[in-house]
This record gives sequence, C-alpha cells and structure tokens, in this order.
Amino acid sequence: MSLTDLPWNHFDPINHFSAGQDSTSGFYPQHPHSSAFFGHGFAHLSNTLYHPNNTIYFNMNTLSTAEMERFQKLSNEFQADVQGPAVSIKQPSSVIAMEYANADAAFATKTSALAITHPLTRTMKGDGNCGWRAVAFGYFENLFNLQNQLQVHHELNRIKSLNVLLDQTGQQEHLYEIFVDATEDVFNQISQAIQSGIRDDSFLVNAFNSEYNANAILTHFRLLTSAWMKLNTHRYQAFLSTPVEQYCAARIDTVRTEIDEVGLQALVDGVIAESGFAVEIMYLDRSEGEAVTPHHLTQARPIAGTICLLYRPGHYDLLYPAEPTVNMEPVVNYQYAMTSDYSPWDQQGALAFDVNSSLMTIPNLMMDPTFGMAPSPMPAAPPSPYRVSPPQEVYQPPMHASPPPMSIASPPPPPLRMSAPPPPMSSLPPRSSDGPQIRLNPLVMKPNLSHSLPVTTPFKNSSPYNQAHFQNQDFEPIHWEPSDSRR
Amino acid sequence: MGSQKRIAKELAELVESPPEGIVVKLADESNLYTWNVYMDGPEGSPYYNGKFILNLSLPTEYPFKPPTVSFKTKIYHPNVTNDDKGSMCLGMLRADEWKPSSRIQAVLQFARQLLAEPMPDDAVEGRIAEQYKNDRKRYDEVAKEWTRKYAIAS
Repeated sequence: MSLTDLPWNHFDPINHFSAGQDSTSGFYPQHPHSSAFFGHGFAHLSNTLYHPNNTIYFNMNTLSTAEMERFQKLSNEFQADVQGPAVSIKQPSSVIAMEYANADAAFATKTSALAITHPLTRTMKGDGNCGWRAVAFGYFENLFNLQNQLQVHHELNRIKSLNVLLDQTGQQEHLYEIFVDATEDVFNQISQAIQSGIRDDSFLVNAFNSEYNANAILTHFRLLTSAWMKLNTHRYQAFLSTPVEQYCAARIDTVRTEIDEVGLQALVDGVIAESGFAVEIMYLDRSEGEAVTPHHLTQARPIAGTICLLYRPGHYDLLYPAEPTVNMEPVVNYQYAMTSDYSPWDQQGALAFDVNSSLMTIPNLMMDPTFGMAPSPMPAAPPSPYRVSPPQEVYQPPMHASPPPMSIASPPPPPLRMSAPPPPMSSLPPRSSDGPQIRLNPLVMKPNLSHSLPVTTPFKNSSPYNQAHFQNQDFEPIHWEPSDSRR
Repeated sequence: MGSQKRIAKELAELVESPPEGIVVKLADESNLYTWNVYMDGPEGSPYYNGKFILNLSLPTEYPFKPPTVSFKTKIYHPNVTNDDKGSMCLGMLRADEWKPSSRIQAVLQFARQLLAEPMPDDAVEGRIAEQYKNDRKRYDEVAKEWTRKYAIAS
C-alpha cells in the first residue's frame, strides 16, 4: 500500500485545509477542528501535500521506506482530535457567513446568501462520520417534526424490515441486533416525546451525542447501505473503481470512513427514500454563482420533510431552510392522521387524489366544516353566506357513472374566489338555505389553491388555525411547568 | 450495555461450536472483556502439535473498536512481536480496517490461519520475515524448535 492509497477521507479534509497559511487562512474558516493537526506529527505532511498554494510538493521518491512506513503507521493510527459535540444544537447560519467574511469572495457571497435562505444550521463533528451522522440525525429529526405517532410506528417497522437485506447479504442477527436495538430505541424515544407533548428535540441531540449508541445507529445505517449496494450492484458499480464488495468493505462497513457521493446516494436510496423525506445537498465551493449549489438526491414527489445537508469539501453539516408555511406539517399531519383512515404518506395510491403537500398543510382544510367561517387568511373575506361543505358533501367526480364523452354534464366547479360574487350555481341546487356553497373539489383546488390562499402571510394571531407564528424566528412556545418558571 | 450483550452472544457461540483448533475461556468469569484462547498449531506448519495460549482483549467500545490479540506463549513468527508482549496487529485488527460486523471467531481463525501462512510483507519482525522468504528451511527449524520449547508441555 502506498501513500497515495491512504484513506484520506477518514479524517475530514476540513482539517487538512485549515492548518493555515496566511494567504488562504480565511479560505477555510477557523473551524474548531482545525487545531487537530497542530502538535501532531502529521501536520507537516498534510500541509505540504494539501496546501493549494504550496509550491513544495512532497517528492514521494525521496522518502525512505522507513519514513514511508512511519507515515503509513501514523496514518493508520491517526484519529483526529476533534472537539465539540457529535451533533450541535441549532445555530444561526450567520455564524457560517461570519467565518467566511474575510475569505475568498465566492465563499463570502455564498455564505451570506445562505444565511438568508437557510437561517439555521447544526454542525456535525468532523470525525469521519459527519455525513452519515447528518443524514441519520436529519432523518430522525424530520420524523419527530411530523409529530405523527402512526408515521413513527410505520417507519420503525420499515427500518426493522430492512433486516432482510442484512440477512440476504450474510450478516448474522446476533452480530447486528445491537445496532438495530440502538436505532429502535431512538424511535421509541421519539414516540414517547410525541406522546408527552415534548416539542424540544434535545433528547435527539443527546441520543446522537451518546457515543456508544450513536456508533451503533451509524453502524446500522452503514450496514443497511452496504447490504443495499450489494443487492443493487448494477445501480452503483459504474460509479466505482473497485467491485462493490470491495468498496463496501473499505468504505462503508468500517467504523469511521467518511461517506462519499456514491455511498451517500446508496444510503438515501436504500434507507431514507422510502420514508418520503427528501435529501438535498447544498454545495459550498468555489464554483461560479452567488449561492450554494443545490443537488437533490431524491426524486421529486410529495414529500414529508427535507433533510438538507451543507457540504463543504469533505465535511457535512445540516441546514434548515427558511420555511414557507408549506412544511409546517406538525399539527396538520397529526390531525390528518387522527381524523382519517388514509394510509401513510408513502402509499400514495391509496389517496383519493394526489396529495399536494401545500394543500395538506392548510389546517383542517378537508375536515373542518367550519373552515369557511373561521377567521380567515384571505384578505377582505366578506362576512359571507358561504359555507364549506362538510366532508361528506365534498364533490366527488363521477368516476364510474357515465362514459365520458367530454360532456358538459359536470362542468368544472367554479374556482375558489372569495372576493368575487359567487357564480350562480344553477346546475346544482343549493343544499341548504344558507346560500351558495363552496365546494371543495380537490380537482379544482389542487393546481391553484396554494396560490389563491396567501397562507404564508402573517396575520392576526388569534386563530388556532394560524401557524404564522411558527415562522417567526423569535417564536417560542410557552411551556408551562408546575414547578419551574418559564425559561 | 450493547457491548456486553454482543460479546456474551459471541462467547456463547464460540463455546457451543468452537472452530477447529481453537478453545476460548474467560480469563476471569466476572469479566467479559478478557479471554484466554487456546490454539493448536495448524497441521503442516512448524507450529504443529504446539498449544499456544493467546490473550484476547476487547475494548469497552467493542464492536466499534477491534479486539487486540497477543500471544502469551512465545512464538517465532514474522507477524508476532518477539518480546514479552507477543502482540500482532494487521489486517482486520487495525482500527481503520476493522468492521463492527466482523466477529471474534473470524479474528481467531484469522490468527490461526496466520500460523499456517505468515504474511512476511506485513511483518513486525523484519528479520524473521526475511528469513521466511529467503531461507524457509532455517525458519522452519527455528519455529519448530521454539514450538517444542515453549508450546509443548513436557
């Protein structure tokens, strides 16, 4: 094995670059990890090999065998002395922008823009597991945010059912069960937290900062990824320079080998995608443009949440976009699950129509007959005589009734426009004497409802249906505790 | 603790169906993390007929860190340090190559296989490795003699 084969990635390259020199010391931020190389015999080597502006490159030929062996040994035994928690609490991403304030203009511009589009971030420890950890944590965090017990249960069963992949690739249960146990424990914690009405996610942060258990969870995700790749060789082999088996042995099954693009895609494909969570990477690099470059790892479809990764060469963190109300699922989905027999998100065929996530986020839209009367987000909503049909009166398209010669028999119901006078409902007599009804026909509402309802506009905060306060950065739910005063 | 659960299962498996030429016991019944391993020198090797005692030590972080294996019985071998530690460190036992899905049984079989087929290119004892490559006959003689001297109870 030669130096050029060294598995550099098992210490996050953010360290390599940041052992700084003046010309570019602002280029990579003064990351807390950067001290890892100082005081280590390896600093010299990494500096020389990696510094972009360094003109003195190592001449491999001048190294004696003994020196090579010494470096090899150092490399094999190297463990970055990285500080800080494995997963941090959420922090303003303006911190990232500050780190790059004096850096290369491309980084300064991109990070400033990032702080606006993605105001919050969570840093991952750069110990070789940051990518794995970011995805795993993001997965559980999104699941917790849904506040949907059914979904937690469903996901737990789904993940446990993936044991089949492990069995199919020759893993033995008595060897992998402790990994599955650790993952299951997190699901149970999420379930309990939802049940107890806990909205604070610090229990998740703690779970990922408890080293042994976190290692077990990450190993579980690694093993599932490895098994998935071996069972779907055709999808990944073309991107690898070694056979999948060998790649997995060297890069996936190990303890702290950093994830690469292929491994990440396989992790998303094999473990995450079925959850309905999207995975997105924001590349922060020197490429052209004024914003980080987004890349989607999942297919576009109705999504239940997004795991958003920030990638800097060799390092992953988590990002949290400034949400339009679209992803304000928590309360909504909970009610959705409680008040219907609909199947979970990913069984799309079971839904009566294509569930548009922006539709589903409008509180009680389909369920609450008083919706039309509730203090409404619509500007100048007249104290109108309209009322929304209760669910059983929702217009059902005549799917099976008559052969469809494109007849005018069922004219498209009028668009939902509250400010205009109601079109005469001549073809359908009113069902009550209250006046004309708004018929919540999904077929009509799907394409344009999210535009016609200014759901993102902040408005009076007295309505229980109004979630605009969640958008406020300073919003803080009031926790009442018998003994404590409010913090 | 997860490590205890897993170690206990692996130990049970090894006791119930021991691999060829390998017997394991806890060094101390109350401590799962230190094992004594009794290994028969494989047939066809200069270690044949020898009974080697090894120490297998499991870190509390097991299986996220590899076990360490050392020979308590003195042995003449390119991959085992020729000192009172008798330590060996290669291949799957290296922290950067270790896989949490590997099992102790595989580690022990790996160690025994190493007696049958040393890996001189990954040696810790360079002199013995040279001899193994260039003067196999002499290497066999010395290894046999050490086996007789240290690994065969008289």
